[in-house]
Amino acid sequence: MNKMAPQRTGSTNGSARLCSLRRAVLAAVAGLALAAGPAAAADEGKAAMLFPGSINDQSWNAVGYQGLVKLKAAGWDTAYSENVQSADEVEALRDYAKRGFDLVIGHTGRFLSAAERVGGEFPKTTFIVGSGSGGAGKNVASVDFDNTQFGYLMGVLAAKLSKTGKIGSVNGLEGLPNVYSQIGAYRQGARSVNPKIEVKVIYIKDMEDAAAAKEAALSLADWGADFISGKLNAAQAGIIQAAKERNIYCNGRSTDQTAIAPTNVATNIVEKWDEMYAAAAVEAKAGKLGGKYELYGLDTPGSTGASLKYSPDSAFNPAIPPAIVADVEALEKTFAAGGLKIKVVKEDGHGGL
Amino acid sequence: MDYAFLVALLAASVRIAAPLILGALGGLISERAGVFAVGIEGMMLAGAFGAAIGAFVSGSPAVGLLLAVVAGSLIASIVAIAVTIFRADQMVTGLAVNILAFGLTSFLLRGLFGGRAPSIRLHIFGAIDIPFLSSLPFVGPILFRQSALTYAAVAIALLLHLALYRTRAGLTLRATGENPEAVFAAGNNPIRIRQLAVIAGGAIAGLGGAVLSLQDVGTFTDGMTNGRGFLALAAVIVGRWTPLGALAACLVFGAASALEVRLQGFNLPVSSYAIQMAPYLLALAVLAGLGRGTRMPQAIGQAYRVG
Repeated sequence: MNKMAPQRTGSTNGSARLCSLRRAVLAAVAGLALAAGPAAAADEGKAAMLFPGSINDQSWNAVGYQGLVKLKAAGWDTAYSENVQSADEVEALRDYAKRGFDLVIGHTGRFLSAAERVGGEFPKTTFIVGSGSGGAGKNVASVDFDNTQFGYLMGVLAAKLSKTGKIGSVNGLEGLPNVYSQIGAYRQGARSVNPKIEVKVIYIKDMEDAAAAKEAALSLADWGADFISGKLNAAQAGIIQAAKERNIYCNGRSTDQTAIAPTNVATNIVEKWDEMYAAAAVEAKAGKLGGKYELYGLDTPGSTGASLKYSPDSAFNPAIPPAIVADVEALEKTFAAGGLKIKVVKEDGHGGL
Repeated sequence: MDYAFLVALLAASVRIAAPLILGALGGLISERAGVFAVGIEGMMLAGAFGAAIGAFVSGSPAVGLLLAVVAGSLIASIVAIAVTIFRADQMVTGLAVNILAFGLTSFLLRGLFGGRAPSIRLHIFGAIDIPFLSSLPFVGPILFRQSALTYAAVAIALLLHLALYRTRAGLTLRATGENPEAVFAAGNNPIRIRQLAVIAGGAIAGLGGAVLSLQDVGTFTDGMTNGRGFLALAAVIVGRWTPLGALAACLVFGAASALEVRLQGFNLPVSSYAIQMAPYLLALAVLAGLGRGTRMPQAIGQAYRVG
């Protein structure tokens, strides 16, 4: 039962061919991985997922892959491609749609413009953009977790833990809605605790470059920051290494990252892409998702979008004083009850102080 | 700009330069023997991979370093065979092995572990304070509180300088890049020398990759060299094909990167995207300025034919 057709490589120009070659190698890898899995139980339809990086990054791509695992368990035929480059996004989406996939998920907001371009050509396919910033037409939807809620919680936690009155954040892709939402809310949350706190934000040019992220985080530590947040992919590990080296706090994006520096990871913002994609797939199958922008948070039914996790069974580093934990948990309850809404604008995500 | 800021900036410059220095030295050996080192990026990536896998599977960083050297040399030996025996175009061969290394490391990362990439977490090399020197004011924290491979990078640069300009083998290597016919007439085999030079260069570039996986971040991720091999290549040219020149160029590029992240903290009215271009703009500017006065090895890029 080989349901994985190889990635097509029929591009015509030279540079695209090089990219296709790379894609073909990676698709072959993907085929290898999926062929080893158990057969699907029921037949829900065909779902494909495209990743900007590799699924072993212990961060963004790894949690997205859990969504595909969940869809497979729910009876979908699944396929995926890793390391899809910006220039290949349109072709990659079109490729799967042409092969009759009912659901094509692009696991990064970057896929939105590509999905908007091909959406009209394939009315039978639903395109879902993970962490996109809006829906389009009848069959292009965006799904995201509420970055403002979790950014705010992290800002509160950071400000309460900081002894220097300086905290930092390392990020990529300045100007992207989900990026400035989290950073802007991080700043607001920190200032709600300590109006005088200094929050410095540094952008690096590649969300996958861990060595560059580590240097950016070290520069924040040199400046005096004693809590470093961030929203990066494979590069998140660089923030955590830097925190370990300077013995300061940081947050990761998966409980796996706690193992890199158990004393320095305060908690992780673990995004529930498995729940979000599963919920979105159910909606799509019922024909109710198209064109929507689904934002999951602590106050939405179906999924909370994300949760704070230090380990599979605890939310915070045991070294954090119980009073601080209680404060953050109380704030989570306020969000869940709809008692606090955070508004951010693009400028809130600016680099520097 | 206060004292502590300056010390931290310069210490970061040296740290960031370490993988570039090793990549540049590897490229330099290859180019001095007459073979363009476009494949440095791939050799570094293979080295980063070999280092991580070796250390992960064996639990020993020494095995990691050994495998980094082996992996870099293996990619280099493909270049060596293609350009000397089959007289393939050196630029195209270099580009091809870069793509090969990207695909192969991604594939092996999954293939070696039954289809699912493992979570690799390694203990990284910590800073080693050199007794006495590390407590010197200013230079101590900048130069003598670095990690093992950073010291190794500088040591290899100095050794390579001595080898190139103070030994007979170094003279022969340089001559092979200038005039292989003369080397042949003197009773040496230019093809063999080029093969050895490219492979030795791959070994050193592989160590450069190991800096990233074993010393900086403690894991391997796809494409983690992220263009550093090309920056190293620019450093070879800026450094006028000399080890000490390349060392200096890498330190300047390192300083530009270290300054770039710190500049963002000054709230300049410039987008972070523009500031992030700084190291590359600097490389371009220096290349345009210095590049004109330089003379590359005379016979570089030309396949040597016996007779």
